[in-house]
Amino acid sequence: MTTQVFKLPESLKKDAKYTFCPGCDHGVAVRLVAEVIDELGIREDAIVAAAIGCSVTIYDFINIDALESPHGRAMAVATGIKRAKPDKFVFTYQGDGDFASIGWAESMHAALRGEKISSICINNTTFGMTGGQLGPTTMMGQVTTTSPTGRNEEYYGYPIKMAEHMALCDGVAFSARVSLDSVANIRKAKQAIKKAFEVQLQGLGLGFVEILAGCPTNWRMSPEQAHDRVKNEMMQTFKLGIYKDITAQQ
Amino acid sequence: MTVECLTGKKVLIKGNYAIAQAAVLAGCDCYFGYPITPQSEIGEYLSGKMQELGRGYVSAESEIASINMVIGACATGARAMTSSSSCAVSLMQEGLSYACTDELPVVLVSVMRGGPGLGNIYPSQGDYYQSVKGGGNGDYRTIVLAPSTVQECADLTYKAFYLAHKYKTPTILLADGLLGQMMEPVEFKPYPYEDIDNSDWALSGAKGREPRIIRSYGPLADDRCEFLEKLFAKYKTIEENETMWEENNTEEADIVLVSFGSTSRNVNTAAKILREKGYKVGTFRPITLFPFPNKRLAELAQKVKMFVTVEVNMGQMVDDVRLAVNGKVPVELVHKGVGAPPDPEYIAAQVEGLI
Amino acid sequence: MEKDFIIAGFGGQGVLLAGEVLANTFMIDDKNVTWYPSYGAEMRGGTVNCTVVMSDEDVSAVQKSKAEFIIVLNQASFDKFTSWVKPGGTIIVNSSLAEVKKTRNDINYVFVPITQMAQEKLENTRMSNILALGILAKVSGLIFVENLAKALENVIPPHRKNLIPKNIEALKLGYEYDLLNV
Repeated sequence: MTTQVFKLPESLKKDAKYTFCPGCDHGVAVRLVAEVIDELGIREDAIVAAAIGCSVTIYDFINIDALESPHGRAMAVATGIKRAKPDKFVFTYQGDGDFASIGWAESMHAALRGEKISSICINNTTFGMTGGQLGPTTMMGQVTTTSPTGRNEEYYGYPIKMAEHMALCDGVAFSARVSLDSVANIRKAKQAIKKAFEVQLQGLGLGFVEILAGCPTNWRMSPEQAHDRVKNEMMQTFKLGIYKDITAQQ
Repeated sequence: MTVECLTGKKVLIKGNYAIAQAAVLAGCDCYFGYPITPQSEIGEYLSGKMQELGRGYVSAESEIASINMVIGACATGARAMTSSSSCAVSLMQEGLSYACTDELPVVLVSVMRGGPGLGNIYPSQGDYYQSVKGGGNGDYRTIVLAPSTVQECADLTYKAFYLAHKYKTPTILLADGLLGQMMEPVEFKPYPYEDIDNSDWALSGAKGREPRIIRSYGPLADDRCEFLEKLFAKYKTIEENETMWEENNTEEADIVLVSFGSTSRNVNTAAKILREKGYKVGTFRPITLFPFPNKRLAELAQKVKMFVTVEVNMGQMVDDVRLAVNGKVPVELVHKGVGAPPDPEYIAAQVEGLI
Repeated sequence: MEKDFIIAGFGGQGVLLAGEVLANTFMIDDKNVTWYPSYGAEMRGGTVNCTVVMSDEDVSAVQKSKAEFIIVLNQASFDKFTSWVKPGGTIIVNSSLAEVKKTRNDINYVFVPITQMAQEKLENTRMSNILALGILAKVSGLIFVENLAKALENVIPPHRKNLIPKNIEALKLGYEYDLLNV
């Protein structure tokens, strides 16, 4: 007798061709999102507000309704969807540049309003799609195509810590930072995504997960080296953990 | 403000409230907005009314957010609108360009004030170009409706929702500070248009069907010409079916005064003054600025001797009148940079000077 | 026939509300009517005014720089709007807050201590605006006092309906004020 131990989530398209770079963590993140949607049984009610950047391609892979948002506006677009159709499950899938740079106002205010939406944000310390420029999360000293001698405070200031900021907003029910560098951390990441989705379903507020992810292409590293950097360098600046969980407080 | 959701009764009401009230009666599901003079009454009224009716309302953090919230709501097939003015409508141009490519029924109420820049809060028609030619990137059009009275503010708000949904095309109701702030008796008739079925495209969750993607990148990525041709074929249909204008005394006219919006009231009076002086003067008022009544103006150009465009800006619609007239006869401009429309006597004197 | 009215004063004197009542009165009388305020920055402490145009045909223009009837409730408005009165027209001046002084001989002046009357007879200076409308009704002969009273019903919000009798009293006081004693 055979037992199926691994299958494609129903929330992923069966014939999709993945276009992420080799070693990119977006693929893992999208899969986790799809698995959680399956497990919560919300696929037929789900609508994703996709963003601009590498994250936009989620709608090519995920088997749910999707709306592309202008750069930075996913949280506003998701607000509009949710306010029009409060019974739908609405989430954004964004990168750090989209969420925390050009879209920071939309992100903060959706959080402050306590929109009943969820947001998954990839932090890879760079603008990926456009070729590895300095972004809002680029770490001190990090060399990018627009910080050729490394990020210094004089010219560039400091990286933003999204999960901590979101946790400060009264409308946020859950905020966590997770990583995809190891199997253990991938498991924790999935739990966090699930929690961020559940708080929406329970009508408690906004659920947010910041996912530390490797970008081997723009970091000019192998996938293994990229994961090592996530573990050894990124986690020093961006500490993993649950920054807010109002269900735990209850 | 104490305006009841009642039809069939005349009420004296500000243009801004008439628009807001009409939106409610048109079944607007969601309003998203950010305050700016001279249209803030729209959001003020709807903040209470929409909550009372259990509909969507958000005091957005910016006009950029407002228009994108409208995009999100419209993608679900909802009737959604935002309202703003001039310098802040500038912030919405990216969203409008996306909404055109996404083919979403966005309704934007634009109550013009002085510009450029922060400008001033007084009436103006300086955003004719912004509305008709589009300030966003790429090839697109928005339907533009220009009311000239408070009654028309209400009636054309109904029409804006209808056309936006019928053609899945962003539609702008282009008023100005004068119309927004003035009061005039209005009768709120019942919403006269049919409901448009959007079940074949709206996002509702992929239940029992393939997932839908609404995006502006995909359609243009591979087959850009085909998509744009299709989009512009739609604009052509809109032009054929929906062009609206009002003309008076044009049959015998030597001179036709062309104006839109609140200016037309003063222009009608100026034409009357000129007719009393013995001049053969007619008036022509485009109600849709896109689609522009090119054909009718071209017909009139066969028999009249001169057109005079009257605008509260430095001369914008005059370009479109010239394109329509195509050099057949002179098209002159009488204008005032900003403020309430010029006095009828002033317009009459200026036109007389051109004869 | 088309008649133009301007009501002016400082912020808080109820100038815009008086204009709204006047415009409603004309609507009730089945006239075409428009009301247009000074708005925006001028609302904050400075002078406020509104223009009401009543017409049997289409209103010719919403904003006017001349009017047949102008009510000025303070000195600043008196100074500004005297030159706006059409020859043969009338300016109603609140002499409680403006100097009794005639600078034109081609217009009619009606000086009434409106604020003082409101205080003495109604014990409420906030009724000055409605009292002034009563005077306008008498002076112009174009307005039915009964319609003014109906218009109050349209304009005063439901939770303030208790103020209507007092406002009607103000209208009558203005209408019955003996103009010959001015």
